[in-house]
Amino acid sequence: MNAIEIDSISKSYGQARALQDVSLTVNQGEIFGLIGPDGAGKTTLFRIMTTLMLADSGSGKVCGLDIVKDFARLRRIIGYMPGRFSLYQDLSVRENLDYFATLFGTTVRENYENIREIYSQIEPFADRRAGKLSGGMKQKLALCCALVHKPSVLFLDEPTTGVDAVSRKDFWTMLARIKASGVTVFVSTPYMDEAAMCDRLALIRDGVIIGTGTPEEIISGFPFRLLSVRGRRMYPLLKQLRKTDGVISCFSFGDSHHVTYSPEVTGKEQILAGLAQAGFGDCTAREISPGIEDCFMWLSHGNGNGRQDC
Amino acid sequence: MWKYLLEKEFKQFFRDPGLPRMALMFPVLMMLVFPFAVSMEIRNINLAVVDSDRSEESSRLLERCTSSGYFRLVAFCGSPEEAMRLMNENKADAIITIASDFSREIGNGSGFPVGIKVNTVNGTRGSIASQYLQNCIMMYLQDRNSREAGSSVQSAASAPAAQSVSAGPAINVSEKYYFNTHLDYKLFMIPALIVIGITMITAFLPSLNIVSEKETGTIEQINVTPVGKSAFIICKMIPYWAIAFFVLTACLLIAWAVFGYVCRGNVLWLYLYTTLDIIVMAGLGLLISNYSSNAQQAMFVIWFFAVIFMLMSGIFTPIASMPGWAQAITYLNPMRYYADAMRSVFLKGSSPLDIWYDAAGLASIGAAMVCWAIASYRKSS
Repeated sequence: MNAIEIDSISKSYGQARALQDVSLTVNQGEIFGLIGPDGAGKTTLFRIMTTLMLADSGSGKVCGLDIVKDFARLRRIIGYMPGRFSLYQDLSVRENLDYFATLFGTTVRENYENIREIYSQIEPFADRRAGKLSGGMKQKLALCCALVHKPSVLFLDEPTTGVDAVSRKDFWTMLARIKASGVTVFVSTPYMDEAAMCDRLALIRDGVIIGTGTPEEIISGFPFRLLSVRGRRMYPLLKQLRKTDGVISCFSFGDSHHVTYSPEVTGKEQILAGLAQAGFGDCTAREISPGIEDCFMWLSHGNGNGRQDC
Repeated sequence: MWKYLLEKEFKQFFRDPGLPRMALMFPVLMMLVFPFAVSMEIRNINLAVVDSDRSEESSRLLERCTSSGYFRLVAFCGSPEEAMRLMNENKADAIITIASDFSREIGNGSGFPVGIKVNTVNGTRGSIASQYLQNCIMMYLQDRNSREAGSSVQSAASAPAAQSVSAGPAINVSEKYYFNTHLDYKLFMIPALIVIGITMITAFLPSLNIVSEKETGTIEQINVTPVGKSAFIICKMIPYWAIAFFVLTACLLIAWAVFGYVCRGNVLWLYLYTTLDIIVMAGLGLLISNYSSNAQQAMFVIWFFAVIFMLMSGIFTPIASMPGWAQAITYLNPMRYYADAMRSVFLKGSSPLDIWYDAAGLASIGAAMVCWAIASYRKSS
């Protein structure tokens, strides 16, 4: 049985279409990542799957339970951690945890094993008010509260947004452990570099799923070749590259430009020669293998027909 | 589970830096400060006197005025111009001018040369001052008549003269006020202040509390748990209901201990009507929180309702003196019924049989509010 099955779900807020025909399947016991920029519809999809909101059309099942009809039963077996810290700031760490355990009809002691690893890190602050915790601690507490009733599926909406790089890494280690305990994890993130840590992913943009599969599958689906080009005058270089024949697209990635080109038309030497002719003689280029972000860029621009300014 | 939900609400309430103190201070402040502040009784009217007669009669008249307790004699002026200057400087609220031939004219009955000038920049104060002043003069004339009547055996000639001024003392209208014999405004206001306090606590605090859960997103976190929404909301309101009854009890105790006012009717009825009002206000509070997504919005809506409720409830101005269309609006105002019931029970000793219409009004508004609130709550989720 699949942990999550979503079938052509659509949702609009007035005129704005948040989700269009979204279909997904998540296997039992995997970390599934929903990757997309802000405003892509990630949170809307989460709210629909966690029974907080009704879809305009389409249907969905989580652990075999319908997200509309069986919402009451479903709520007992899912854990949800919203993107924003939403615990009681004026209750202490322990009180928050006790409170949520009680709401699910269980106790912290009963499920202590389940959360021990994460909770042990915040246990020294058990009597501190949640509002007085640091960002990373808050996140751990929220995760504990979402796990305290031993859910079958854990929904994490942008858990790493606004968290520093070290804590983000820690967090993904925690997720791996949660997964190892048999919980299916459905996580969303705007950071493409986190995509590689997921077992499978879906890329979402403007409410449309533009690609699904394992990270490897998505990367191997990239039909072109990629050059990382560096030069001195970066912005004129970007414009020049976009004009070059055989270049599908070119985007700025940190301190270099990622140039997508079709190998049938052109090649690395040819591109460099063209650049030298146009006055960019000081450029260096390196063949690289595409990452998730390159795939996302390619997929999100209508499969490569976009040569637009970004 | 219910126990824990409640425990959490109480914990949060007592952990709030302001709320517990406010719940305690509110009844005290309300009962010890407001009854004096909102009193419509006017005392200490500054009176300037221009007495050109300086006779025994004129000083009797002045004594009548000053002994009433409403006036404070601020100046004896030599001339009307001087008195007028005082009034212009806002040092005098009223001027009484006694002409030089006052005792002679009143003695032979040819006239009553006394003038009254009242500063009506503040209309209420002015009209009440002029009323008081006229009353004092009437009382002086009655005194004089009775004195004259006593001496009329000897001098029958002067009696008709005085009678012509006072329009005959034969009919003596004496007013007697029921229920609040001394027209004590504080006694009148205390049940009404309780009404305002209870309404604020039971309608507006829970709605702000719910909206703040919305704002912090905690309500979403609760919504993904198996806890029913109604259980959650009711547990949110119960602490405020407890506080409302605490405030009611405290107010009644303070009214008794400080002012010596005792509820004329059965105190139980006060609690009964308060319970009814609480149901209405719970519905209203939930309704407001359903339609507002942040505390600022909720505050404004609350403020709007609070002002309308108070002004249209008959607490400060009698409903009977409102124009017909305004009176019609007051029928939609739950505070109207609640205030009427509280005053009736407290001042008149009414029982629910006498004021069944207040119970009916509260119950029907309450039913409508609660149904609407529940319907809109479902929709918004």
